[in-house]
Amino acid sequence: MTLNKEMNKTTNNRLLKMSSEYKQASFTTIISFLLTLVLALNSFGFGTQAAKPAVLAVTIAYAAFTVLQLWITRRIRHDVLTADTLQKSTRRFGWVLLLSGLTANFFMVSFAFNLIKTKKTPEYVFAVYMVMVQLFIVAVSALNLFKPYVADLFPLGMLVLLSVAFFYLIVLVLMARFVDEHAADKRLIWIAIPLILTAATGNLFALLLSVSLLLKIRRQKQPGISQWNLIWTKITRNTTAMLGMFFIVFVFAISVSSYLTFDYDLAIANNFAVLLQPPSLAYPLGTDDFGRDMFSRIVFGARISLIVGVLSTAIPFIVGGMLGALSGYYGRRTDNVIMRLLDILYAVPGILLAIAIIAAFGANTVNLIIALSVGAIPTYARTMRANVLMVSNLEYVDSARALGSGDMEILFKHIVPNSLAPMIVKATLTIGGAVIATSSLSYLGLGVEPHIPEWGNILKIGSTYLESHSYLAIFPGLAIIALVLSFNFLGDGLRDALDPKMD
Amino acid sequence: MQQQAIEQRNFRFTERIQSTFMKMQLRPLYYILLLVLGLPVTVAVFVLYVIRKKDDRSNRIHNDVYTQLRDSDYYRQLSEEFAEQIARKNQFFGTPEQEESVLKQSATQAEEELHKTATTRTAEILEAQGIRKTTFSQMFQTVLGNPRFLMVSFVPGLLMYGFILLFSNFYIKYVLERLVMSVFVILGVVVLVFTILYLSPFDPAANLLGEAATQQQIDAFNRLHGLDQSYIAQLWSAVQGIATFDLGMSYEGNENVAATIANKFPVTFLLTVFALVMALVVAIPVGIISATRPNSFLDYSLMFIALIGLSIPNFWQGLIFILGFSINLELLPATYSPSNWLSMIMPVVVLGTALTASVARMTRSSMLEVINEDYIITAKAKGLSRRYVLWKHAFTNALIPILTVIGLLFGGMLGGAAVTEKVFNISGIGSYIVDKQFVPDIPSILGGVVYIAITISIVNVIIDLLYAFVDPRIRSKMKQY
Repeated sequence: MTLNKEMNKTTNNRLLKMSSEYKQASFTTIISFLLTLVLALNSFGFGTQAAKPAVLAVTIAYAAFTVLQLWITRRIRHDVLTADTLQKSTRRFGWVLLLSGLTANFFMVSFAFNLIKTKKTPEYVFAVYMVMVQLFIVAVSALNLFKPYVADLFPLGMLVLLSVAFFYLIVLVLMARFVDEHAADKRLIWIAIPLILTAATGNLFALLLSVSLLLKIRRQKQPGISQWNLIWTKITRNTTAMLGMFFIVFVFAISVSSYLTFDYDLAIANNFAVLLQPPSLAYPLGTDDFGRDMFSRIVFGARISLIVGVLSTAIPFIVGGMLGALSGYYGRRTDNVIMRLLDILYAVPGILLAIAIIAAFGANTVNLIIALSVGAIPTYARTMRANVLMVSNLEYVDSARALGSGDMEILFKHIVPNSLAPMIVKATLTIGGAVIATSSLSYLGLGVEPHIPEWGNILKIGSTYLESHSYLAIFPGLAIIALVLSFNFLGDGLRDALDPKMD
Repeated sequence: MQQQAIEQRNFRFTERIQSTFMKMQLRPLYYILLLVLGLPVTVAVFVLYVIRKKDDRSNRIHNDVYTQLRDSDYYRQLSEEFAEQIARKNQFFGTPEQEESVLKQSATQAEEELHKTATTRTAEILEAQGIRKTTFSQMFQTVLGNPRFLMVSFVPGLLMYGFILLFSNFYIKYVLERLVMSVFVILGVVVLVFTILYLSPFDPAANLLGEAATQQQIDAFNRLHGLDQSYIAQLWSAVQGIATFDLGMSYEGNENVAATIANKFPVTFLLTVFALVMALVVAIPVGIISATRPNSFLDYSLMFIALIGLSIPNFWQGLIFILGFSINLELLPATYSPSNWLSMIMPVVVLGTALTASVARMTRSSMLEVINEDYIITAKAKGLSRRYVLWKHAFTNALIPILTVIGLLFGGMLGGAAVTEKVFNISGIGSYIVDKQFVPDIPSILGGVVYIAITISIVNVIIDLLYAFVDPRIRSKMKQY
């Protein structure tokens, strides 16, 4: 290879890496290809030696869209290398790709929305994800239509979900038209307020969007970009972080809307007419040994996992954070006493301490949350202490002291808010760990009460049918992995966005 | 010639003791320990000190200087100055104070200032005259520098000299310090875990003997296991039991707890060590490959797999492995048996997955940080081979955070082994604790948890020593007192 050629290649690579569309396009191509492969493998029943027509049709649809995606990726590559920007005609193909939403290909839809709009504000991205979450919830809830009976509130719930989805679509269009990088139309305030109310359906993207919108309207004339906007711009550009956030919000929203659209009886009541059914339309993930619908059980299990995961992260976050802040700020004896006492807690592995606590006080959800929280306190305290030690030496703390602020005011007004970023990242990354710990302890019989449909409990039943009905063990495990993976994705994204070293 | 060599060695020996003593007496705790351990020597030196002190002139000079200063104009000036300062301060803040209190404050401040000046002047005078002020610790040091004194006092001060010699090697000093700290931490762990179990609302006697048990039977059970004693007495016997490896009999099955734990512990430990080895062998090359090709397709795929490894619950991974390798492919046995080493593979892989993933991610990020440093460019510019630069210059410097992660996660792995053991039906310490918790069998749980905590503490000491081995900066920090 001549030097010239090699240099050309390097510049090309750099150009391609700079283009966020190209990066997302190739990512989407690979994921779609993998999804198609998985579907293709599943479309052929090895037991019956015959193809399943429904799955095969979906596979073909996926394959077609993957080919289209590949072609668009090549086009983007060409555009970037020749003109440095994407041609309008390339962007128009995004509209075609939107059709892949019919096959529930989340990745492709998110890429299509990205491709359509040239300048992406965080508000636009939030709106896109908000709409997608809502549509997914509607679709998943609609699966209940195939059941022998539905919950009493199902029609009302679906009506609410659908109308909210319609409202979100309008919001998306408005966001695309009337919000740019620095300013938003003042009249949008009348959209932001109902938007906050719709967040009650569990769609947290709506909340994020309205907060972001209100902030932008308030800072209309001020120069510069706000911290909020800066951070969210970074996160919304990060495909995997958004993917994680999408799934978390989806799980949260489905656990909220399941109060309306899912029937709890299907998840807990025994139905001996349908024991150990394989997956079908009425029971999308099959039924277990008591004839309970796995799909409903997993949906209801999400609620427990989220609650336990979030609470057992929030408690040590607050307690450990306080202890760490006090010991970092006051130093000397306070520091020594607090940290040496926490060293004792730190010496016992979290899960072992949890087992000991549960052994003493019995296995139930409240004890589980306490047990998991206690073990996590020292790590939060250490993180917080290190941050506070660093921040306390900064000039603005000295100036606050010179202006006569008291210790508490300095600590909680100046130091703590500025040392929260690593704590938030840590918390996001450890929620996943808490979810795993919850299900592990439930699996051992030490967590949530066995009659509650929690993912670990479901898996425990599944593990006994591993040989004959392995889907009972596979699906809840996939749900756990997906949720934990999402928290890890989001945590990584947050770290990249909040860590100034990455710039 | 030989005589000289011996003398030199003697000299070096006294030098060593003297310098170590000098460093150690900087820490009050060590100083007290030294004085107490070498009590006969301390008394002897103290007598010497009192004798010497009599003809020490420094005190007299200090007193002279002080009275001189006090009587001179200097003191008056000082107090006036301070009074004025205080008055101005009060004026500025608008807080009027009484004349008397102002005078009082200024007098104390002036007195302080006076003392300071007197001390510095005395030091100047002493230095000019070539006299050294003798303090007790200085006296001790000088005496220790004398080989003859050392020889005479060696037997009575054996404990103290042993202590000094141990601490003259900073590695040993460090290990000893860490071990003493660990002992306290372990003591805390015993108190913590015992208290948790003591507070338990469950009654082991009722659980084990069943509902039909009479009060007499329950009382007999409680007496047998010491459950009728006070909290302090029970705690004391628990601490004693942990220290002497004699935890008595378990409530259920009446087996010797310490012996059972000793039986079950090796399997778990072996499992964790193998998992650790697997993690290192797989993760470090993966991390380095990822770091050398950042943001490439390979990097993304490897890191994605690592993230999945972090997100996968142990027990589910175990189940899927059993489903895949034992049930479908029939390659590996589904349950563990000590005689078949093949049955060890799946548990080790399952247990080590999280550690592998974390180490790979950590290796990548710390390598990336190091690889962009200037000295790497220098090393490349010197013409060193790529491999040499990577391993010698980059990797050794990236090791510290990797070691930290290993130290942190090893504990988690040992504690979390319970889940893996349950899945593969291994009778290790983790599943032992889980089995015993339903009673709850206090000595068994306490013993299991505390011995695992002890193992983790020892591993952490080793990791801290490895830090020093890897990083010369930490080595030099260890030498400081």
